[in-house]
Amino acid sequence: MSITVLETDKLTHIYSKGTTSQVDAVRDVSLKIEQGELVGIIGHTGSGKSTLIQHFNGLLKGTSGSVYLEGKDIWKDKRNIRDVRFKVGICFQYPEYQLFEETVYKDIAYGPKNMKLPEEEIDRRVRKVISYVGLDESYLEKSPFDLSGGEKRRVAIAGVMAMEPTVLILDEPCAGLDPRGRETVLSLISSYREATGSTVLVVSHSMEDISKIATKVLVMNNSRLAYYDTVDAVFTHADELYEMGLNVPELTRLFIKLREKGYDVPADVYTVEKARQELLKLLSGRCGK
Amino acid sequence: MSKFIEFENVSFAYRDEDEGTEHKVIENLSLAVDKGDFVCVLGHNGCGKSTTAKLCNAILLPQSGRVLVDGIDTRQEDKINDIRRKVGMVFQNPDNQIVATIVEDDVAFGPENLGVPAEEIRRRVDEALRQVEMYDFRLSEPHKLSGGQKQRVAIAGIIAMKPECIVLDEPTAMLDPRGRREVMKTVKMLNEEFGITVVFITHYMDEAVKAKRVIVMDEGKIILDGSPRKVFTQVDTLKKAGLDIPEATELAIQLAKDGVGIRKDVLDIDELFEGLVSLMEDKN
Repeated sequence: MSITVLETDKLTHIYSKGTTSQVDAVRDVSLKIEQGELVGIIGHTGSGKSTLIQHFNGLLKGTSGSVYLEGKDIWKDKRNIRDVRFKVGICFQYPEYQLFEETVYKDIAYGPKNMKLPEEEIDRRVRKVISYVGLDESYLEKSPFDLSGGEKRRVAIAGVMAMEPTVLILDEPCAGLDPRGRETVLSLISSYREATGSTVLVVSHSMEDISKIATKVLVMNNSRLAYYDTVDAVFTHADELYEMGLNVPELTRLFIKLREKGYDVPADVYTVEKARQELLKLLSGRCGK
Repeated sequence: MSKFIEFENVSFAYRDEDEGTEHKVIENLSLAVDKGDFVCVLGHNGCGKSTTAKLCNAILLPQSGRVLVDGIDTRQEDKINDIRRKVGMVFQNPDNQIVATIVEDDVAFGPENLGVPAEEIRRRVDEALRQVEMYDFRLSEPHKLSGGQKQRVAIAGIIAMKPECIVLDEPTAMLDPRGRREVMKTVKMLNEEFGITVVFITHYMDEAVKAKRVIVMDEGKIILDGSPRKVFTQVDTLKKAGLDIPEATELAIQLAKDGVGIRKDVLDIDELFEGLVSLMEDKN
């Protein structure tokens, strides 16, 4: 049985309500996210992705509708909202700009310190998360400002992981990184989820990245929830996604084109290796005819 | 073809005065970009791409060697306005480049600073906005536009200054897939229809395949230079430089290794699809 960790019920958020510049940023979103899923969140700029995720830890309060964390309405008792923010950690875009401490250690320890954890526990967490992000302990005494862009990004992500949130949300964690940097960040997200069993939500514009790590895909379009389903199910809607200003992974597009042409190939192909195997199967089948 | 931008043995290092340290970024780089070319520059973070871009219009000056823009040495201080007029820059974050509260005012900002007469500004602004397909939004507030639209407004602001060359430093890094498609289409059109020389810096291989020439940088040096087809088949060199090759190319190379009679230098899914279909039809 899967357990629902995060749930929204008819969540709506309207900016500047009642003025001429009123914007319906999130409309009527109802969804249930299960414990342990790795959810890729996609949608065009202005589709409501960022507004939506800020409701998950109470940085924004819906104009109407509710958000439930582990079955409890997060706004039922306002005094608990601080707790909600510890349980749902958001790592915003370009988080490296938010590094400010003298050492990597202090920067990662900042969140747990605010949670008023004992020193030993903070120390344990700092040392654990630095390994999660693929850096060794020699980094802890360095100044964050002496690190490369990719390393700074990883330290910033570690800072959120150190709060051991039940739900970790990363907004465009790979933006601006080069291919190797992207790969590193993607694999550390996957292994963090495997190691901790936590629920992870990743906002991304890259369908390739999403297809490689996610278990579910959440698609926002014009402030509404368009799809929330498995990766395979969502990427079968290639035409609809294109209409929404999105696309499907490049390799998937190849297989969709082959299917349209009448060839018997699967559509759920996201990696070069799987594509290679499927194409070899297809080609050898033909040879035998 | 005549050369428009020329780097002659250029070196550049960022100096930290307090600590007395020096970080060499570009070393002895020589490079020429022809008039009307569309050059894409690739390389991992920190390889010197952005520094190279900034050397193209005198935002940075070489510490040794020289950079010539249409024959003008960028170190000539009295020529700086000419250089900036010839080479316009577009950066990664559209929000940092927009200065006005109405789209058309923003596009007019550049030509106004150049002292262009008012009627001429009006004409240029309208024309630039039409070129990037943002004319219908000329009275909109920039903050209400999507990322791709903002970036096209930033490009319009540059073309209103009538540059001969545009240097774009990761202009699509913060955009969604549609925004990326829009910006790429606009840049290609400016190059093909208006003959504007383009230097395009990106991390996206699918954008690089659309250029006429691809330059790969590593450690401040050029390690590959040629047509996309020539560059993207150099798998080992690219991987060593921390880069990817387009998935379509990688797949074609794998299949060819498996003995499938398919060309290895395909650049995108459409070419690979054509190749596979003709192979299948041959076999029938």
